Amino acid sequence: MKRLASCTLVVAALVSAFSSCASDDGANVRGTSCGASSGSGSASGSGSGAGSGSCASSGSGISNQGSTDNVKVNEAVAAYDQWVRDQIDGLLEKTKVFTDAVRANDVAAAKAAFAPSRENWEAIEPIAGLVPDIDGAVDSRVDDFASVNDPKFTGWHRLEYLLWEKGTTDGGTPFADELDAELMKLKTEFAKVKLTPIAVAQGSAELIEEVSEGKITGEEDRYSHTDLWDFAANVAGAEKAFELLKPAVNAADADLAADLESDFDDIDAALAKYEEGEGYQSYEALSKADKGDMQAILGSLSENLAKVPGVLKLG
Amino acid sequence: MGLSRRRFLVSSAGASAAALVAGCSNGDGGGKAVATGDTVVASPRYLPFHGIHQTGITSPVPASGLIAALDVVRADRSDLARMLRDLTDEIDGMMAGRAYPATDPRLPALQTGTLGEKPPPTDLSVVVSVGASMFDERFGLGSRKPRELVTMPFMANDKLDPDRSHGDLLLTITADSPDATIFALRQLLRRTRGHLVLRWMVDGFNRRSAPKPGQAQVRNLLGFKDGTANLDASEEGLMDEHVWVGDEDGEPAWALGGSYHVVRIIRMFVERWDRTSLTEQEAVIGREKYTGAPLDGRVETDVPDYDDDPKGKRTPLVAHIRLANPRTRATRKNLILRRGLSYSRGFDGNGNLDQGLAFACFQRSLEDGFMAVQRRLDGEPLEEYIQPQGGGFFFALPGVNRRDGWLGEQLLA
Repeated sequence: MKRLASCTLVVAALVSAFSSCASDDGANVRGTSCGASSGSGSASGSGSGAGSGSCASSGSGISNQGSTDNVKVNEAVAAYDQWVRDQIDGLLEKTKVFTDAVRANDVAAAKAAFAPSRENWEAIEPIAGLVPDIDGAVDSRVDDFASVNDPKFTGWHRLEYLLWEKGTTDGGTPFADELDAELMKLKTEFAKVKLTPIAVAQGSAELIEEVSEGKITGEEDRYSHTDLWDFAANVAGAEKAFELLKPAVNAADADLAADLESDFDDIDAALAKYEEGEGYQSYEALSKADKGDMQAILGSLSENLAKVPGVLKLG
Repeated sequence: MGLSRRRFLVSSAGASAAALVAGCSNGDGGGKAVATGDTVVASPRYLPFHGIHQTGITSPVPASGLIAALDVVRADRSDLARMLRDLTDEIDGMMAGRAYPATDPRLPALQTGTLGEKPPPTDLSVVVSVGASMFDERFGLGSRKPRELVTMPFMANDKLDPDRSHGDLLLTITADSPDATIFALRQLLRRTRGHLVLRWMVDGFNRRSAPKPGQAQVRNLLGFKDGTANLDASEEGLMDEHVWVGDEDGEPAWALGGSYHVVRIIRMFVERWDRTSLTEQEAVIGREKYTGAPLDGRVETDVPDYDDDPKGKRTPLVAHIRLANPRTRATRKNLILRRGLSYSRGFDGNGNLDQGLAFACFQRSLEDGFMAVQRRLDGEPLEEYIQPQGGGFFFALPGVNRRDGWLGEQLLA
């Protein structure tokens, strides 16, 4: 804990509270420096103007503090910041196709639009989680609740449950409306967020953790089995951040940059085997052998990405 | 009985060795080996990593153990070599208690910290073994496969779960407590993340005990002493005779000093066992439950005299210990070094406890060792109370005998 002593009081308070960070995806177990308790609202309130939300109560597991004078890093952050905003625009657009289909009671169209609507979200999820509560509202899973009927079970997976398990859009409209509203809120709130280097570096690692913890097991999209769409989007988001940071990583640790590049190449190749149409085959098509390979690649990626913030002297 | 035992001793090529095999620690049938007495257990230490054999095969019976089978993925032969070098480096460092260098706190630390900044002595050892699948087409090692190494077949009474069986690589981590084995496991996995994926794992325990056979404090979860007649791992002559592959065995040169390594995850139906009469239990096993004495003897170290009981009046012909070790000249070559762990992993869908023995043994020849014993046990009454559910056949690599050497170096050379 010694290293925390030099941080501002605000940061220290957030960090020390990490154990109470409510999370719907287990991110808190890793003890990253995000720490606001659910619903307190104090985290974003006390954050600096520049860092804004910093510790989202949704538990994105990443920090948005600090700065660097590394020019290469700052260029990467600026580019990633813009890329994230583009993703949010795409997210609103594609999700509207999905929610419109739900509202129009078109089960087939809604099912077809479900996975595409999630791609932009999955590409930026940890970053989007810097806006408090958003992740829980739009992307919580049924295991976060005692029952599938819990009114707080909302968002994509509630609709996924209706479409695939119940084969209907009945009762879906309020959830569709809420999903649109929450994502609109994301856009509005994210406009106030200024991304920091640590958030970009940690966000990249966090995306791969997301894959390792939910997509490789098929538990994320358990009704639709569209996990590989999410998987690919998580990887794409992580890879984008790495590509932008690569000149900086390369300058600091060329071996690490090379290892990461080869890991990303490997995971892209492993996923490519499952491409189909505009997206990916069902999770159920994933062979055991390929799952083993993917576990190892993701494991290597995670170990290597975990070094990036430190190698860049961030945090 | 005494007469026949003397005859056994005299007729054996290695008399003193035979006595130990039979569980005799001294000439009078074990008067000093009071099985229920307190035993002095040595303080934990840093076990040596280097040697012609892997240390953890013959080190004292561990209080805690963890067996993890892994598959090697996305690797060619050079990746495999690099991975084995990394494994070796981490094992060597951990066994020696090497301190991990401090790194920039903005980076993940080089160790988990679960044993503190400098891991204390914990009797830690790690045995690395390879499965038959390591010799498939992936690494070009087909011609180097130990002669008898095969994928473990289904044997009598087996109900092998493919998800809990076999594997390319087996790590057997033993120490004086579970936090130490878990520390080692996590360190080894993080060093090899890109090429090893877990296939199955079991962790278990033994009561901390004196190391000598004949003074067994270890009981398995059937409540019977386990290891009374085990080979004494501290007797190098016995190990050379029964455990280590030698140069006259017709094995590939790289395998010398290694050992065939069998693991069997044997579920015990403990509820059923616990409601079986003591008489029946003792007849099934062939020993008195509390003293550990054979059914024709008084104390644990007494050697059962089967010659004098040809019809199985005292020790049933199908008693476990009689089938496993008939104590004849012809079956002497079937002796194996057992090194099992009791396990407990919750309960099954019927509400029955999932407990058993992670049986492990080492032998110079799979055919003369485990396979021969297992063939004799086929159909034994104990089968009603147990069920092998997993495990595999492996080959424990020879040790690393030079400073810059690494586990598997000769195999991949």
